[in-house]
Amino acid sequence: MTFYKIKDVILSFFPLLLLYFLSFSSFETLKEFSNLIIFSFNLQMILIYFYVLKYPDMLGYGHIFIAGIINDTAIGIPLGTSSLSYLILSFITTYIRNATIRSKMTAEWVIFLPIVFLSNLIYFIVINSFSNLSFYYVELLRNSFFTFLFFPFFYYFFSFLSKLNKKEK
Amino acid sequence: MSDSRDDFIIAIRYALLKKSTKQKFSLFFLIILSIATITLDRSSLSVMSTSRAVLNDLIYQVASITSVPGKSINYLAKVKKNYFSIYEQNKFLQDEVIKLKNNQFNNIFLRTEIDNLKKILTLTDTRSLEGDISIPARIILDQKSPYMQSLLANKGTKNGILKGMSVFSKNILIGTVVEVNYMTSRILLLTDLNSKIPVIIQNSDVNAILSGGGSKNDFFLEYLPDEFNLEPDQVIFTSGKGGFLAAGIPVAQSYLNKKNEVAIKALADPDQASIIFINNGQLNK
Repeated sequence: MTFYKIKDVILSFFPLLLLYFLSFSSFETLKEFSNLIIFSFNLQMILIYFYVLKYPDMLGYGHIFIAGIINDTAIGIPLGTSSLSYLILSFITTYIRNATIRSKMTAEWVIFLPIVFLSNLIYFIVINSFSNLSFYYVELLRNSFFTFLFFPFFYYFFSFLSKLNKKEK
Repeated sequence: MSDSRDDFIIAIRYALLKKSTKQKFSLFFLIILSIATITLDRSSLSVMSTSRAVLNDLIYQVASITSVPGKSINYLAKVKKNYFSIYEQNKFLQDEVIKLKNNQFNNIFLRTEIDNLKKILTLTDTRSLEGDISIPARIILDQKSPYMQSLLANKGTKNGILKGMSVFSKNILIGTVVEVNYMTSRILLLTDLNSKIPVIIQNSDVNAILSGGGSKNDFFLEYLPDEFNLEPDQVIFTSGKGGFLAAGIPVAQSYLNKKNEVAIKALADPDQASIIFINNGQLNK
């Protein structure tokens, strides 16, 4: 009984826990696997896009804002940069959710591409305007591209977890 | 036409201002809050720098715990790699020992010669003793994102760390302190794009600026004379210009890369740094 309760709590808070974990550990690259560093992607963006689009009640905007602040502190970039980028992503996603009647994975995947590029553009503009940091723009582009590319895999994974959560309830 | 524009504006307004049942804040409020945070962070208010330092300390401590799974994976991968390459490593190390022994004798001879020449020229040793005191620290977090390559150390203002201090690992310079909090500090690695240090090249009087290129095998030299050609196996030392670092600290070396081009690699390996020494720019003791 207790095990099922714990499982239920974990599944209900999974997106929040994962978002905070990723922000604290600043998961942006696959740095643990030096051969795979080229495939670095932004899992936070996929997570936010998926849950704001499909299950908005599981991931609050306030948590997205705080996770962004934590991520900025951990990476060492101006405070609020990631928050703004994630909130812009959430805003467009909310708009799409309201405007869409029938959702389809392929359509959501295609729409994800301009959204990722736009939120990364916001990120890039803020870093360039509010700090003296310089970085390879190609890395940001590559990161955006792989974030888009890995989306279907995580889409099915998160859908599976959400279905499990529903079953538990 | 006007109807569709109205619909669009209504949808935008709805997305920005409407709060669903479990949302406590509207997106509009949080976006404004983010912009305010960015602006305040940029400002030089003392309240902001104090609160940022407290926030940094708190988040770095939690981040050092959350990074444990990643570190464990990294550790296991290294153990596996080392296990399978022990024979090659042993052979390589034996050759290195022979080379180093030869260099050591050479160094002793050169040191003696320099000391004798200094005596003849009545020059005093400019190396200050008070600058040689190093503060040992432990790396709590390794932050190598595409945007910033830095390490987080477990020592801060409490332990006498100041912004701009130099950081050494195994007697080789690896970076400088760019952010100091009460209990922690952030070290910008030499490999970062934002790292720029004045250097001099072995067997030449050429001064340049060594910039990081994003990885330990990807440095580049700026402000080199047009006619100068870098050769492989030349060591790059700090020049001491600007008083930022002591002169003569080895930092990088030129080598022939896979494309048969002369490239520059770091002498230190920041990935392997776990215990570091922080001092005010003199040679590490």
